[in-house]
Amino acid sequence: MMEKIQKVIIVPCSGIGKPYGSVSREAAYEVTENLRPGQTRLVPLALLVLGDDKSRSFVVEYPAVTIDGCKLGCAAKMVQQSGGTIAQEFAVLDVYRRYKDLKPQGIAELNEGGQKLARVLAEEVTAVVDGLMTGKQGGENA
Amino acid sequence: MSDFLETTVDKFTFKVATDRFYNEEGVWAKEETGRVRIGLSDFVQKRSGDVAFAEIKTAGTVLAVGGEVAIIETIKVNVTYTSPVNGKIVKVNPAMNNAPETINQDPYGAGWLAELEVANWEEECAKLLDPEAYFKIMKGQAEEEAKKL
Repeated sequence: MMEKIQKVIIVPCSGIGKPYGSVSREAAYEVTENLRPGQTRLVPLALLVLGDDKSRSFVVEYPAVTIDGCKLGCAAKMVQQSGGTIAQEFAVLDVYRRYKDLKPQGIAELNEGGQKLARVLAEEVTAVVDGLMTGKQGGENA
Repeated sequence: MSDFLETTVDKFTFKVATDRFYNEEGVWAKEETGRVRIGLSDFVQKRSGDVAFAEIKTAGTVLAVGGEVAIIETIKVNVTYTSPVNGKIVKVNPAMNNAPETINQDPYGAGWLAELEVANWEEECAKLLDPEAYFKIMKGQAEEEAKKL
């Protein structure tokens, strides 16, 4: 019998001072605080880099959705290095390519395009979370 | 001569392919089977960052040296690049539509921008920078960029 997933871990990019990093974090906040607060938990990338035991245990115990701001893919790499399983990798750039009119700009505060892009991304992440919670999506790397 | 000239500035290594010619912007030109293929140098793609969109002038466009050939939108900037040669675009790299990140992945190979018909390649390339000359300019540009970090 398939074990029910109790929680999905969301790990966004930690790129400070970059619009695409900001979009990844805004999307993560939207999912974990507003859209699926009970089913998800945000784990900051910085804590994984520091080797924080609690954060590592979360990504080991539950499937993770990573949201990277650039192709360096630090969030995905750190989850893997921490022994976690990535259920789905998202890259802000890939989502932006599908929504060209939502160009993210601004750093401390995202422009309207960036906020909308974060919302779109958050909805895509939420769909993956829902799939994992209902067993319709496996825990394989995307 | 080896395939690439290389320099490392700060933590970045930049390669200059030795089998083609360049303008000062870092747009390369290489003759292949009667056509001239153009693209961006490794330094240019690294400096600009991950490419989001690449808008290349369409096939049939006649370009003069210095004429706008491509607008590249990256996660950092929008940059307009100019043609290093006189000629007519006969083919745009189809990857620029659906996978413009190939510019980052393989700037001297699969990430080419367009192919041009050029009337007199010998004359055109005589006005361009050879790899050694571009390498010196690129190294200076990279060192200037590093000072901003």
